[in-house]
Amino acid sequence: MAGSTIDHLISVMVFLGALLVFISLFNQMIQTAILYQRHKFLATKCSDLLDNILLNPGIPSDWGKSNVTPVGFGLQKDPEFTQYRLSPFSLMRLLSSSGDRVYYSQTGEWYSNVSWGIGGGYFLLQESECINYSVASKLLGVNGTYGFQLTIAPTVKVSIVEDKNVASYLRLNITVMGQGSPLADASVDYLMFWTDSSEPIKNSTKTDSLGFAYLDFNGANGLPRIEVSRNQTAYMFIAKASLGGLHGIGYLSREIVTKAGNIILLVENYGNGTVLLAHKWGKNDPGPGDSQAALFFNATFYVLPDSFSPIKNVTVEGHVTYGEGLDYYPIQIPTSQVGFLVVTYWTGNEYGMVVMPWGIGTIGFSVVFGGDPSGQEWVVTDVRQVLVGDIAYQARLALWSLEGYGVVG
Amino acid sequence: MMRTIEVLLVIIIILGASMIASFFAVLLWPREVSPLNLRRLAFTTLQVLDLNYSLSRIVFMSPDNPAWNELRIALSACLPPNIIYNLTVYEVQSGNATELYKYLDISISNAESLGVASDAASYLVASSNVTFRVIPEKIGTSGVGGTLYILNCSDARGWWITGYTAQSLAQDLYNLLSPYFQTTVMVQNTTDFGKILNNNTLQGEVVQNAVVINTFGEAVPIPSSYAIKYSRYNYAEYCYQLGNITRLYNWTWVSIVGYPLYYVSNTGYFNGSSDQNTYGIYGMKQVGQAGVRAFLQGLDRDHYPPPGYPNGDSRSLIPSAGFTATLSQQVLDCCNYYGIYPSPYQTSTRALEDSILRDYYLTIGLKIFDSVTVSDTTYNPGALYNHISRSGSLLALGLTRTPDIRLTALGLLSYYKPRLYRSKYTATNTSRLVVLQLGLLGGV
Repeated sequence: MAGSTIDHLISVMVFLGALLVFISLFNQMIQTAILYQRHKFLATKCSDLLDNILLNPGIPSDWGKSNVTPVGFGLQKDPEFTQYRLSPFSLMRLLSSSGDRVYYSQTGEWYSNVSWGIGGGYFLLQESECINYSVASKLLGVNGTYGFQLTIAPTVKVSIVEDKNVASYLRLNITVMGQGSPLADASVDYLMFWTDSSEPIKNSTKTDSLGFAYLDFNGANGLPRIEVSRNQTAYMFIAKASLGGLHGIGYLSREIVTKAGNIILLVENYGNGTVLLAHKWGKNDPGPGDSQAALFFNATFYVLPDSFSPIKNVTVEGHVTYGEGLDYYPIQIPTSQVGFLVVTYWTGNEYGMVVMPWGIGTIGFSVVFGGDPSGQEWVVTDVRQVLVGDIAYQARLALWSLEGYGVVG
Repeated sequence: MMRTIEVLLVIIIILGASMIASFFAVLLWPREVSPLNLRRLAFTTLQVLDLNYSLSRIVFMSPDNPAWNELRIALSACLPPNIIYNLTVYEVQSGNATELYKYLDISISNAESLGVASDAASYLVASSNVTFRVIPEKIGTSGVGGTLYILNCSDARGWWITGYTAQSLAQDLYNLLSPYFQTTVMVQNTTDFGKILNNNTLQGEVVQNAVVINTFGEAVPIPSSYAIKYSRYNYAEYCYQLGNITRLYNWTWVSIVGYPLYYVSNTGYFNGSSDQNTYGIYGMKQVGQAGVRAFLQGLDRDHYPPPGYPNGDSRSLIPSAGFTATLSQQVLDCCNYYGIYPSPYQTSTRALEDSILRDYYLTIGLKIFDSVTVSDTTYNPGALYNHISRSGSLLALGLTRTPDIRLTALGLLSYYKPRLYRSKYTATNTSRLVVLQLGLLGGV
């Protein structure tokens, strides 16, 4: 009798043990399957959301051209409504999450930092004129459920650098790189805005099999001699590479900090195109060896059509002087067409140049908009090829769930 | 001992069940958990490459043309390094060919195979050597008339064309309709409008049997000379004259939106501080609901004002509330033929009562929208009315603002039915299908 009871107890224990193992195994399998499915749902949602953003212009459809707050979010170009062609204006109004916010004490305002002097290019838009992440999330219907980060970056990267090994004249090295490979044998049209020339120099060259080309501004081959080592001249160079229907653009502006500082461009009013040419000393205090003399400038706005032939539009001359109530100089540029503002500044014999695009894509700026995906449990991304003007861009959306460990779905 | 054996048997059964369940619970492949949408990526890549028709140009070139190498480099540059591709070109065959897509020996790829999974998108391109032409028949070719007047008067203001100007609507109408008429004349000011009202031509066109489109919505331009002469009954007398002239010249008068002839406008003549439409739009006077009745009275050649209405007949012709109007089947059929696709459902608040057919001896030449009966009264949200004398017509679209001028164009085309002569598709080697297949490198 006792043996039978022991036998029974052992068998029940073995059975329960086997059952537990079975439940645990099965539970693990089910959990994995559910998680997989949820992740796949998130990927589908990401694809849908990206198309939703790229295939509608928002409401009103021209919200990117004014400082109104849209009631529908979308980046498609108005009024063309072509698939995957984005508005260069709407992209400008997205609050950048790539660079640190910029505070300018002279106006007491914060500015969205798309570019702070990268290659001499600035795009700083007053934050109150931007569309922020929270507004966009609400308009897209994902507020509180999903987080996202949208990156619009050129497909073809055109890098331009000065060759420091050549001292007697200016040599510019141009590298044209695609996503997966260099753009070999691409034709490169370029524009050279030079302080010593009233009109831009337009010409073209070709890249080699490594996507590389260089230009010697040594007075030969129809190019002027430019000597920049003593900062007594400045330039702004834009190159547009094209091959097999693919276009990319890049720029280099010779921004230097003169003894009397330099000029920073701040978009004060997006609606009417008011741009502040701000003295650097208004943002950063001058150092002990720095001069507080007047900094003169010449600001010219060029409209840039797809033909890559700039049209001079507005020219303003003036000066800014730190500490004399002239910390910045407001100018107004036309807002209806894409182009760029080229500012030449000088004090004594020192010259520098900075540039600000009007319309993302004009000189190949990137935009990063949205939240921070780091630290999220699962982030999916999807990519589309898009056009901004005639420049190829990639729109990349990273999406994650905000509702706990799992994924909504 | 028996219990232990039984338990072992149960364990075997449970494990068996677990294995069978595992067999059915198929987990996704890792590559499927977070997939890139390769199909959309492929499509947008082809679209980007076809900017300025570059792709269309290249795919019609011979395979040994260096442009193919350009395309290969551009394609590699477009796609992330972990994406492998294969681009294939097919000839689209026409005629009696049994095979619609013929494989051409043109294919570029950056890998031997596309891995275990891939996705593809196709893109149809047409040769730049071939153009497909559609030649529309001109209205009036087989008879008289064939003139389209579009009122584009710079010295008049519109109402209920919210969001547009009469000039922008006029331009859109010109683009839509001018191919179908022998002569299209933009009437640039009220003085010119006065000339055609007096049977004088502006550009040598035929005034008789013309179509006159009033792009000013509920307002109508009035020449100064007519404003001086026909100002009685709040300018309803002018509307009466318009009806008379429409009958006299056998015009088709077109009202694009709202209540027809509700205001008259001339910014040069109505320049007083009180010359506004009660909503702050200056340069116009309100005629009210008497306007359209006066027009119809003129079309019917009755006396004005009609007996019993010494100050003009201003009884309402519209319903007290709006409703949804649906495009008639006849007009829906024409959408495909003419390639104009407005929404088939529109909101109507100014539909005209069916009783005007009886009161003014009209027949309906075309129902643009199906009739709607509200409280035993039938309304026509959009129709082209002909006078029984077969001289003079009114096309009235009683929709709410904002106007969709495609409806006006569609209404006129559906009524006149100009034929479209499409060039015959006999050319070969005109279309090619480009298929871009993408795969991901590595993984399972």
